[in-house]
Amino acid sequence: MPRTIVISLALILAIAPMSTLASSPVEDPHGTWRPEPAACNQCHACEKPSPEDPCLVACPRHGGHFYGEHVVDEGPDIVIIDQLADLYEPVVFAHRLHAGMANMTGGCENCHHYSEESGTIPPCRSCHDADKQAVDLRMPALKGAYHRQCINCHLDWAHENACGFCHEQANGGGVGDVDTTDIVGIPHPLIEATDQYNYETSYTEGPTVSFHHTDHVEEFGLQCVDCHRGDSCKSCHDTGAHEVRKLDHVVTCGACHAERNCAFCHSVEPRDRFEHNARVGWSLEPYHETLDCRTCHGEPQQFRTPTGKCADCHIHWETGSFNHRSVGLALNEEHAELDCEDCHADRAFQHPPTCEACHDEPLYPEQLPGEKVSRR
Amino acid sequence: MSSRREFLKFTGAAAGGAVAAAAGVDAAMASTGPPLDPDRVGVLCDFTLCVGCRRCEWACSSSNELPHGDLADYDDTTPLANMRRPDATNLTVINRYPASQGQVKPFHAKVNCLHCEHPACVSACLVQALKKDPHGPVTYDAGACVGCRYCMTACPFQIPAYEYDNAFTPRVMKCSLCAERTSEAGVMPECVKMCPQEAMVYGRRDQLLDLAHERIATHPGRYLDHVYGARECGGTSWLYLADRDFTELDLPDMPDVSPAELTESLQHGIFKGFSGPIMLFGLIAVIMKSAGLRPDDRLEDDDE
Repeated sequence: MPRTIVISLALILAIAPMSTLASSPVEDPHGTWRPEPAACNQCHACEKPSPEDPCLVACPRHGGHFYGEHVVDEGPDIVIIDQLADLYEPVVFAHRLHAGMANMTGGCENCHHYSEESGTIPPCRSCHDADKQAVDLRMPALKGAYHRQCINCHLDWAHENACGFCHEQANGGGVGDVDTTDIVGIPHPLIEATDQYNYETSYTEGPTVSFHHTDHVEEFGLQCVDCHRGDSCKSCHDTGAHEVRKLDHVVTCGACHAERNCAFCHSVEPRDRFEHNARVGWSLEPYHETLDCRTCHGEPQQFRTPTGKCADCHIHWETGSFNHRSVGLALNEEHAELDCEDCHADRAFQHPPTCEACHDEPLYPEQLPGEKVSRR
Repeated sequence: MSSRREFLKFTGAAAGGAVAAAAGVDAAMASTGPPLDPDRVGVLCDFTLCVGCRRCEWACSSSNELPHGDLADYDDTTPLANMRRPDATNLTVINRYPASQGQVKPFHAKVNCLHCEHPACVSACLVQALKKDPHGPVTYDAGACVGCRYCMTACPFQIPAYEYDNAFTPRVMKCSLCAERTSEAGVMPECVKMCPQEAMVYGRRDQLLDLAHERIATHPGRYLDHVYGARECGGTSWLYLADRDFTELDLPDMPDVSPAELTESLQHGIFKGFSGPIMLFGLIAVIMKSAGLRPDDRLEDDDE
């Protein structure tokens, strides 16, 4: 009798976990989606995927699959999109121009939502099939993929759907030759910007902020993207002009001038453009005017003020390596052999030379150690 | 004419249906045709992707041999300034609506026959010129049509149009889902094929419903959680996705049952077991009896 009880208990214990297993509903890993049986390899890398090991391939559909750093120049300049040309001529797409614009916002990823892990960006057509029928319903075919990329941005600023903006209608249904020479190699056309902007602010001590746009570009060597990061085509090209241009899309002054006090930008009256001599009492003429500010002052975030000693920067000036004619004085034979320090005590080139080391009485500038020549 | 023969067959079948009804057989679906295929087709139209380029209008008119201009003529967006409805020469039209929240570009919606699962027009058609194809489309046979235009009044979406300027052979005009072409495997309706944005997806209706819900789940901010046509009027072959209430896009708020459901149940209910005529003649008999009349009383009075 006890033996029967033991056996039945053992049986119950053995069956119980099986029954709980059977009663718990098995969740369909595909949810409501019923994939085509032949299309397994679109999402699965292995032969027999299981819920434990689905071996999913990187699915570009869901984003976050962009690898590597890319620069604008690395991509093609012009792309001729002709896989679908039918009612229209092939589209001549200025890739580099658009890449430059994308650089101001999300970069390559703006359009290329997928790249291989090696960083290689495959062409759209490698995933988006030109034949609308062959693709699964969830992914746009090549035509939709192209148009959605282009039209969504273009509509934001053009406010119209003129297909002719990108397309030329094919004559008689045929595809003609495309002349690419008219746009090849031309970056964004030069933008005419105002030289100086005087912004009125609510700061009573100095209500005016004068911003010299041209100087920032030409004198201080900034690239458009240095400030217009996150700007969009629309902020300039919005033909409907629905919005007043705001400053929140540009990197503001503080990004470079954070260390400065208020008066650096704010003044009562509009300021003249920056002149080195007027502002700091040190003329850049004639040798330093062609230099970029950064050469002496470093990057804007770590601005440094040179001591004013030439030797701080010109550490390599030595007899033989320095052409003295460049300062307008060709040294005569006796002096050309001397070391720099013999005349320029302590290598203080910013001060006039002294002759006392060799000569009894001061001679310079009455008598010169050579003859005057034109500079350089 | 084959359609006349079909019509006679249909009337014969209807008479048979009445007999069957008399015999107590439920013939509720008899007037709307055979049961629908489980793999019937439809179109999922995502209004959030539509850019209002009007290429679908051109593709529709040119493929259906309706008057149409050059493709470039459809760049003109001035017609979008007015609300339009499909008419005898334009079986589909695009309408423009105000931009979505935080967007500059306007919103667009496409108007055409929705190809109801249980179409009121088919139910109203006296001669079965309109039929619901089990595979999805609601098709029209001009040869059978008698021009009564009941379909036009029956349609809850006011889609069918009529060729009023055609004096001798006027037709009811509406989208056919390109049924004559799409019966061939792998061919999609012309508007779907043309759409540059691929705002429309053609495929099995049940898969499209899944796809629609998947899009809503993936982009909750982009869509209103409503697939128009999933249940409206008992379901339609065209399914719509939008970012706003569909009444704002002039798609009416419809009950889950087809309007044909009510009329058909009334009709079929009254005639079930031949009860309508029996009740009518019974009532007449009761009145005559209570008035002390016999059927030939009046005749005799006349003779007097």
